[in-house]
Amino acid sequence: MAKDAEKSTWKDFIWNSRTREFCGRTGSSWGLILLFYLVFYIFLAGMFCLTMYVMLQTLDDYKPTWQDRLGTPGMMIRPRGKAMEISYNTTNTETWDMYIKTLDNFLSPYNNSLQAEKNEECTPDQYFVQADSGDVKNNPKRSCQFNRTFLEKCSGLDDHTYGYQAGKPCIIIKLNRVIGMLPGKDGQAPFVTCGAKRYKVGKDEWKEDSDKIGEVEYYPENGTFNLMYYPYYGKKAQVNYSQPLVAIKFLNITLNEDINIECRIISNNIPPGSVRDKFAGKVSFKLRINTKG
Amino acid sequence: MAYSQCFSVSLSHTNTHTHTYALSLSLSLSLSLSLSLPSLSVSLFLLSLSLSSFSLSLPSLSLFLLSLSLSLSLSLSLSLSLSLSLSLSLSVSVSLSFPPSLSTFQTEHKMSIEECCRKFNTDIVQGLTNAKAAEFLIRDGPNCLTPPPTTPEWIKFCRQLFGGFSILLWTGAILCFLAYAIQAATEDEPAGDNLYLGIVLSVVVVVTGCFSYFQEAKSSKIMESFKNMVPQQALVIREGEKMTINAEEVVAGDLVEVKGGDRIPADLRVVSAHGCKVDNSSLTGESEPQSRSPDCTHDNPLETRNVAFFSTNCVEGTARGIVVCTGDRTVMGRIATLTSGLESGKTPIAKEIEHFIHLITGVAVFLGITFFILAVCLGYTWLEAVIFLIGIIVANVPEGLLATVTVCLTLTAKRMAKKNCLVKNLEAVETLGSTSTICSDKTGTLTQNRMTVAHMWFDNQIHEADTTEDQSGASFDKTSASWAALARVAALCNRAVFKAGQDQLPILKRDTAGDASESALLKCIELSCGSVKQIREKNKKVAEIPFNSTNKYQLSVHETEDPNDNRYLLVMKGAPERILDRCTTIIIQGKEQPMDEEMKESFQNAYMELGGLGERVLGFCHLLMPEDQYPKGFAFDCDDVNFTTESLCFVGLMSMIDPPRAAVPDAVGKCRSAGIKVIMVTGDHPITAKAIAKGVGIISEGNETVEDIASRLNIPVSQVNPRDAKACVIHGTDLKELSQDQMDDILRNHTEIVFARTSPQQKLIIVEGCQRLGAIVAVTGDGVNDSPALKKADIGVAMGISGSDVSKQAADMILLDDNFASIVTGVEEGRLIFDNLKKSIAYTLTSNIPEITPFLLFIIVNIPLPLGTITILCIDLGTDMVPAISLAYEAAESDIMKRQPRNPTRDKLVNERLISIAYGQIGMIQALGGFFSYFVILAENGFLPSILVGIRLNWDDRACNDLEDSYGQQWTYEQRKIVEFTCHTAFFVSIVVVQWADVIVCKTRRNSVFQQGMKHTNILYILLTYLPCCVFINLCPPPPLSRPSWWFCAVPYSVLIFVYDEIRKLLIRRNPGGWVERETYY
Repeated sequence: MAKDAEKSTWKDFIWNSRTREFCGRTGSSWGLILLFYLVFYIFLAGMFCLTMYVMLQTLDDYKPTWQDRLGTPGMMIRPRGKAMEISYNTTNTETWDMYIKTLDNFLSPYNNSLQAEKNEECTPDQYFVQADSGDVKNNPKRSCQFNRTFLEKCSGLDDHTYGYQAGKPCIIIKLNRVIGMLPGKDGQAPFVTCGAKRYKVGKDEWKEDSDKIGEVEYYPENGTFNLMYYPYYGKKAQVNYSQPLVAIKFLNITLNEDINIECRIISNNIPPGSVRDKFAGKVSFKLRINTKG
Repeated sequence: MAYSQCFSVSLSHTNTHTHTYALSLSLSLSLSLSLSLPSLSVSLFLLSLSLSSFSLSLPSLSLFLLSLSLSLSLSLSLSLSLSLSLSLSLSVSVSLSFPPSLSTFQTEHKMSIEECCRKFNTDIVQGLTNAKAAEFLIRDGPNCLTPPPTTPEWIKFCRQLFGGFSILLWTGAILCFLAYAIQAATEDEPAGDNLYLGIVLSVVVVVTGCFSYFQEAKSSKIMESFKNMVPQQALVIREGEKMTINAEEVVAGDLVEVKGGDRIPADLRVVSAHGCKVDNSSLTGESEPQSRSPDCTHDNPLETRNVAFFSTNCVEGTARGIVVCTGDRTVMGRIATLTSGLESGKTPIAKEIEHFIHLITGVAVFLGITFFILAVCLGYTWLEAVIFLIGIIVANVPEGLLATVTVCLTLTAKRMAKKNCLVKNLEAVETLGSTSTICSDKTGTLTQNRMTVAHMWFDNQIHEADTTEDQSGASFDKTSASWAALARVAALCNRAVFKAGQDQLPILKRDTAGDASESALLKCIELSCGSVKQIREKNKKVAEIPFNSTNKYQLSVHETEDPNDNRYLLVMKGAPERILDRCTTIIIQGKEQPMDEEMKESFQNAYMELGGLGERVLGFCHLLMPEDQYPKGFAFDCDDVNFTTESLCFVGLMSMIDPPRAAVPDAVGKCRSAGIKVIMVTGDHPITAKAIAKGVGIISEGNETVEDIASRLNIPVSQVNPRDAKACVIHGTDLKELSQDQMDDILRNHTEIVFARTSPQQKLIIVEGCQRLGAIVAVTGDGVNDSPALKKADIGVAMGISGSDVSKQAADMILLDDNFASIVTGVEEGRLIFDNLKKSIAYTLTSNIPEITPFLLFIIVNIPLPLGTITILCIDLGTDMVPAISLAYEAAESDIMKRQPRNPTRDKLVNERLISIAYGQIGMIQALGGFFSYFVILAENGFLPSILVGIRLNWDDRACNDLEDSYGQQWTYEQRKIVEFTCHTAFFVSIVVVQWADVIVCKTRRNSVFQQGMKHTNILYILLTYLPCCVFINLCPPPPLSRPSWWFCAVPYSVLIFVYDEIRKLLIRRNPGGWVERETYY
């Protein structure tokens, strides 16, 4: 009946023993079409590689073609926490141990010994410009030392817990690297300032936790990024570049509460970033320190 | 009985249908079962797809919706069990659609009048009593045809919304909502993409559905305007009084009187008649009026003389009859019911679209499952993998194609309407293009449906009259005195007159009152000799004997033109042999000569020759009566003939035919060269049918029937090998005896077939026979008798002017000018749109690959997403639409009327080769073009290709705001997202750029673009696609492509597409039938 016919055509389609066809094609037919596609795709791949090669030839090895998206450098904190939320319990070591480890890892390249070995001491408060002379590249470029000890109480050298155990945590702030960026003109170095973040609690209702932050200390002093760390020449030219850091330490922050903090870079030549981008020229995070078990 | 035969045929048809439905359902079920748990959506998808392959009737439709909405909220197992119940309900609904049973026909024609009166409680003189009539009216209902159950508007609308292609989009939309639901349930901030996509898909379906609904509503409105709104009146005798009542109130048993010009109000058993003739053409297809009399002449009620049928016309004379059937019980009513009981199959284009959906689904599911497995292997969670699976399947749905196809079909439908083909159903646009057999009615379609004098015989010579519509044909010598005499006889012995108020109309177009052949004579004489009215005024009629079947002649006596000549002129016309018998002399070159044997012989030859042409021959003679016997004022007595009707002078013969329309032979020739078999099906006599068939080329010159061969070789018919005869003429009574195999044999082995004397049921059998042999059959017809065949045919073509309402209802297409030649334009347009749809689909499908590969690579190699959902929609519903539609205007590449009709089993709208070219070749080049611009933008911004692989997790992490690029710079989330959106824009622009090349490439399938030329395209359309593209880029939040070079990244790939395809087509042209053609010619 019709059903049998249907079945046999299905079977015939997959393997027709009479015509020796697999899925409607004989072996040689399959061979030809597969060969064609193989050759065709090899050719296409070749063509693609060629265009890519040509495109890559137009690129500079040391500086990307366009940087207009990076007008306002981003800011970031360490430890980053989970989705920019740092919360721990002072009595429970496990809750803050990972932050300590993160910071230890992060700061290890800044150890004074390493810095002294790889980088040199520069003149502070002025740009460390190492211009190329025409086509002759002045490579590799040297970098300035940023010693871990600059961070003083937040260096983790004296207090291995970075104040976390005592409920006076350190947060390290860095400004994103952008090749050729010169923040702060007229010798005025950019600096970080932290305060409460205005946040929305309801419709047209805003709140800030300014009274709960308490006293904040900045290391290095005033939270400045010294000008000698700029400009950055890129990872190829300036292999040992040490990104300058600013550490902040909360001395008497209100405990057992969510506190929203925002740190911004203050500089006379960094444009305010787009409204959409919450991390251009500023960084905000939530801090919660619990003391009760 | 022919009725029962037909019934059994359609019954068996229905059975086989049920069978196949059930089969395909079980197949789809086993498929969806085998896919197991994670593929919940897949089984749903398959289920709905398999559903789409049924013509969705109402109950199944609502169930379908129910099942979909339910299975959305319920679990997999439930949706499966629902689909099971669905299959049951489907098969039930299918098996219910039997044609209504037909009772045996009336036998009143065999009864005597008295018996008949007794049966209906009526009186032959007094008629029914009013009370009885009222009682019968309540019992039988009004005397009118139940209109075929019209589908409610909302069902028509739903059909547009959920039919064929829309199902694919609906499924896509539902999958999108499903994916969004999963995301919403599992993620905090679900991306809105799937939701938007679902909404857009639904909107597209609804908008296109509305569009095509309104298109069809428009053409059905034109249909409405054809309807004759004037209520019919009938003259009945009740309680001995004549009264005019509404035809609807006529009941069985009523005594009805009809006269020339009336429409017969019901089926009548004639009780008395005076020269009554009825035109049965709308019922039987016979073009000649039939006389009616009280005598039963045939067992078959359709053939007997004493029954007049509902809705046929009384041409002349008067008759009185007893109503035996009213309304739907009449012969006409039963044919109409037969029609509405017939299921017409799916249109070829619907089948093609179904096949296309299968292919696309196959590819989509294959891709989806492959990447689902890959995703699971790569360590994605199950839910993520399901989202990917849905995303991939949906990405394969060509969102814009439904709209494109609809618009293309609409454009063609409009073009056809301009050429007098009104298409009722959009899908029927293409059907004519696939037609391989046309069964054409003769009267009115192939012929002008107007008796016209074709030949004359006088002076011992046959003269040809001009029968063309515009009188451009050959003329004859009009100076002969014999012609003057013949014209005078024809003008005088003629009761036909022109109806008043038509002086400004051309003579051939004027309406006449009177018998068809007399009208033909009237027009012929008016054309060649001037006003007949004046001739008649000059020769006043003195006496007249009208035509009757015993005399077989008509005679009148006139005064002569010459006032000094007091003789009377006797003129006579009639059956040639009877006229000849009465003649002793013959007029040759104006001189009377005795009628000798030689003359008689030549008369016989001429008579035979004209008769053999299928023409109706009349003989004419006259006599100037001797004044001494018939002085002025002689009282001619016509009832008791008191004057001589013998020893007359023979003048000549005139023969008439319903001539073919001027454009028909040419059109038939075109059909033949286009590989379309033209079969003539007519109710007329075989000889007439054969003559017309020869005249229009349905039987081409040099081709003989079995009978022709027999007579040429002078051997009996039985000794002729039927295979030698290409042509054949089959009589309806022979057709009745044929078995199915014999029928198939005839249809297969004869290229030129004429069916004569066929009944409506036989027409149906012929159509079914052709369809059984795999042909796609177009049927033309105008009468009620044609409507079952019209409905059964793949495409029924009704006549706009002469067609009956029933036939127009049943047809898919209407020829507004009733001209067969319009069908040829229809075929041409149909074939063109099929080719152009291929191109359009090839174009639209191609961009699927550059749209889907970004997503695939996003999943597999974890690069930032190169192309977003919104941009994909912009391409599918924005920039791709206009070029795709522009391809519908493409001119044919070769003479499409010189090739065979497409083979519906082999030549598919969308085949593997098209997919191979679109997806495997052009699409891949396009994807590379897109990726190239993607890589350019990322690299120029600092992200070299080497760093991109595997970057996705960090890239899409909102908390990671110091992502390092290849140069050591660090990026915030928003910063890199802006670059990503720039990539989307660039990818989008690249697709637009490569699609320019694609639209140019798709203009032709074989020819070079340089041969085809850029006409009908494209610059404008290219600009048109560019415009929304620019607007999009400049208005949308993602940044504009600020660098000019980013706009042109894909140009090399665009050039490559063009060059590659030109080379491919060159190879196809150089090596016809070669490997390239076999693998890539779609």
